[in-house]
Amino acid sequence: MKIKGFLKDVGGASRVTKARLNAFSSASAIPEKVDPIGDVAREWHPGTLDLEVVKISDASPTAKTVRFQKVGGGKLPPFYAGQFISLAFVLDGKVLCRPYSISSAPFEARQDPGFVEITVRRSKGDGLICDYINNDLKIGDRVKGSMGLGQFYYEPLRDAKNLVALAGGIGVTPFVSMAKEIKHGTMDANLTILYGSAASNDIILKDTLDALECDRVHVVHVLSGDEPDWKGERGFLSAELIRKYTKGDTTYFICGPQVMYKFLREEVKKLDAPARRIRFEMFGQTKDVASFPGYPAEKKDETFTLTVMRGVHKDEIPARANESLVVACERAGIVLLTDCRSGECGFCRTKVLKGEYFVSPEGDGRRAADRDFNYVHACATFPLSDMTIKIPIE
Amino acid sequence: MKWYKDHYDVIVIGGALAGLSSALMLAEKGKDVLVLERHNLPGGIATSFVRGGIEIEAALHEMMSIGPEGNRLKVGKFLEDMGVHVDWLKVPEAYHASLPGLEVTLHPGLETFAREVDAEVPGTYDKVLRLLNLCTTVFDSVNELSIHPMSKLKMLLKHEAFVKTAGYSTQEVIDTFDLPQKAQDLLAPYWIYVGTGFQTLPFTIFSVLMADYIGYGSYIPHKFSHEMSLKMAERAEAMGVQIEYRQHVEKILVKDGKVYGVRTARGDEIHADYVISAAYPNKVYTSMIEPITEVPEKAIKMVNGRRLSLTAFSVIMILDKSAEALGIRDYSIFRGDTMDTEELYKDLAGLGPYRYLTCICHNHGNPDATPKGTCSFSITTLPRVDGWKTVSADDYDRVKHEVAKQMIDDMSKYLGVNLLDHILEIVIETPMTIAHYTGMWNGCIYGYAHTMEDHIVARLQTAEEEKFIEGLEFAGAHQISGDGMGPAVTNGRKAAKNVLDDMKKKEAAK
Repeated sequence: MKIKGFLKDVGGASRVTKARLNAFSSASAIPEKVDPIGDVAREWHPGTLDLEVVKISDASPTAKTVRFQKVGGGKLPPFYAGQFISLAFVLDGKVLCRPYSISSAPFEARQDPGFVEITVRRSKGDGLICDYINNDLKIGDRVKGSMGLGQFYYEPLRDAKNLVALAGGIGVTPFVSMAKEIKHGTMDANLTILYGSAASNDIILKDTLDALECDRVHVVHVLSGDEPDWKGERGFLSAELIRKYTKGDTTYFICGPQVMYKFLREEVKKLDAPARRIRFEMFGQTKDVASFPGYPAEKKDETFTLTVMRGVHKDEIPARANESLVVACERAGIVLLTDCRSGECGFCRTKVLKGEYFVSPEGDGRRAADRDFNYVHACATFPLSDMTIKIPIE
Repeated sequence: MKWYKDHYDVIVIGGALAGLSSALMLAEKGKDVLVLERHNLPGGIATSFVRGGIEIEAALHEMMSIGPEGNRLKVGKFLEDMGVHVDWLKVPEAYHASLPGLEVTLHPGLETFAREVDAEVPGTYDKVLRLLNLCTTVFDSVNELSIHPMSKLKMLLKHEAFVKTAGYSTQEVIDTFDLPQKAQDLLAPYWIYVGTGFQTLPFTIFSVLMADYIGYGSYIPHKFSHEMSLKMAERAEAMGVQIEYRQHVEKILVKDGKVYGVRTARGDEIHADYVISAAYPNKVYTSMIEPITEVPEKAIKMVNGRRLSLTAFSVIMILDKSAEALGIRDYSIFRGDTMDTEELYKDLAGLGPYRYLTCICHNHGNPDATPKGTCSFSITTLPRVDGWKTVSADDYDRVKHEVAKQMIDDMSKYLGVNLLDHILEIVIETPMTIAHYTGMWNGCIYGYAHTMEDHIVARLQTAEEEKFIEGLEFAGAHQISGDGMGPAVTNGRKAAKNVLDDMKKKEAAK
């Protein structure tokens, strides 16, 4: 065969080798430590941030807004209004992670110094960290956090420009962030917040919401409680009420307590909106695993032995059947970091080496191959026998 | 607390396809291996994620070098030999080419392909088949020579076509076939998988690409590329490899020109005789080697003398209707407003509008890919890093959305359906996304560009002289075989082989 001539053809390999060596010998000898694409990635997702409490204010008689800045100041990472932050609190030497929707706006994070706020309601008895935040947290306290998490945000390529938010109780916080960003002119959408509260004095961030009213942001308060003087909407966020405040092609964003989700899943079906127009925020931590169909009820009060492998290190700890693997680790002082705590995001992806378990069917975000090989999301997985798991070294 | 053993034979930085291939091969020879992966799952970009309850492929369009059951090619065979049994699905066609004046679906099989080109451009059957056969001959030689090196004279006698085409670009060799432009265009769409224009792309690389993909077709794992990555990781662990996730290696420790371990971001110092790095040589030689004075000038000149190849930008959508209902008829659509690869290569240096798009509808290769009544559709371009290097953190979201919108609009026009009206879920993967999850230098997934100045044949010839630090090997797209998930496996095997050979040599010297 011939391409250009025998000698030229057979000399090809030597020619390209020489060309390569020439390219190297004529190259600069100065190290180029430039990775600007990596730099942008790190600015958006810097990993764990050291945060400091700089302000605490009342958001209602039962809720507080806490403002954090980066220790030493500076900008915080960009994020989308509606996303959450995962905060790692250290209580009695144990690391406890919790996700909170960010109630401040993205533009506020990008100021210098930038800040991020969460708004947290005092619990009705079971919220260890909610109560810690409301009662004990003070200015100057430090926590670690990672932010810009979750999929609950306005995506202009997917969503309608008209947004109707269906909020219940503390679930209003992501919409406060969206409203602030819209009013600031950095989010191009129209937002109507239908905000259900039990009582008028229970409305969270009422003054903030009032101040955000503008041509693109409207807030409609809906009270479920019986208050004779109330002039606004009453009852629940029914399909009828939702329809009343819907204008044209609309995307519905829904965030609130788990009971409200159960109610609204039925109500939104009546709206004749296509599936892509309905966006539920994550369900949250499974509170009563024994209530799910398929859960072996006879196990619910048992306590098992959980063997936890980290590298070649091994611990044995107790694990209650009605608490997730994450909670078992947290109680034992073993660091198992979480982001969403709803089973969806997979940050706490964990290998089960041995034992039986139950996975909460709400928001089960496991990959198909992970299911085949016993990988679970530990925040939504409950032991049904003694177990052995392997988790990352933190 | 003690998380690691006192000593390992080999530490592998990065648990993606290359690193896991190294680990599998070393474990098979009884070596004590630790894999440190920065993310919380294996695979690098060969992975999947879940949105709205639907699992979505992150990157894999089609895998080369797998081959049918019973007649596995290099990568398919290696995985099976290692005990990694992936449920492979065959991709039904090579591609649908949507090019100026051409709307053709072409299928794998050399004769089939040549016949289909001939149907579109009559009178080209013999020439196209002859070109594809030449590619196959070169491909067979590459496979053999990568395992059994031989003298130049013997090579000329036994691998004439390989030797005689090695010094030429793809275009130079194609020109000798005197093919009409339209036929040339139909042979070009896969160019993007190797990422260099035909005037600079070595014909050797084009040969491997065409012989493998057109000759044998391509495959995808049934449960997305995560199935492949996870099965490799699981098998490695079953063979005794320790894999630790969320461990970010910051430093490679060197003393007197020899590697002795690594240090992670948490501060763990771990010792080993060998380190295999999936991190780019650019990163290793500029910031990871400790002390940095151990990096010789030659290493810096080498990385500075090479050109980074492509990164990726993908708009991945789950649509709320079936592929049939939306008129998406093919598994893959390669669409360009020209098929001049040099023009297109120039275009990739910018930030769009990109003129060459690769679309995948997984449902045509894997009917279970999404729930009934929905489908997945991704639009990808593989830009050069140059344009994206200029985007700031504050501009990033705007640029990302503008580019994505252009790509969606372009494909909407082509399909005659406004895709924006059907998006259930959308994920936009950018060079920054890749950098975030994998740490790859500038988000580059293709390693160094295949050019006549950085030719695979030259890479093979000079490999020994480019070992600047004893005990340090590299595995990833930045190595000899270059980019692609199949080549990643080959690169990983090569790194392991180098380690094993060196161990043997040291053993013999004792």
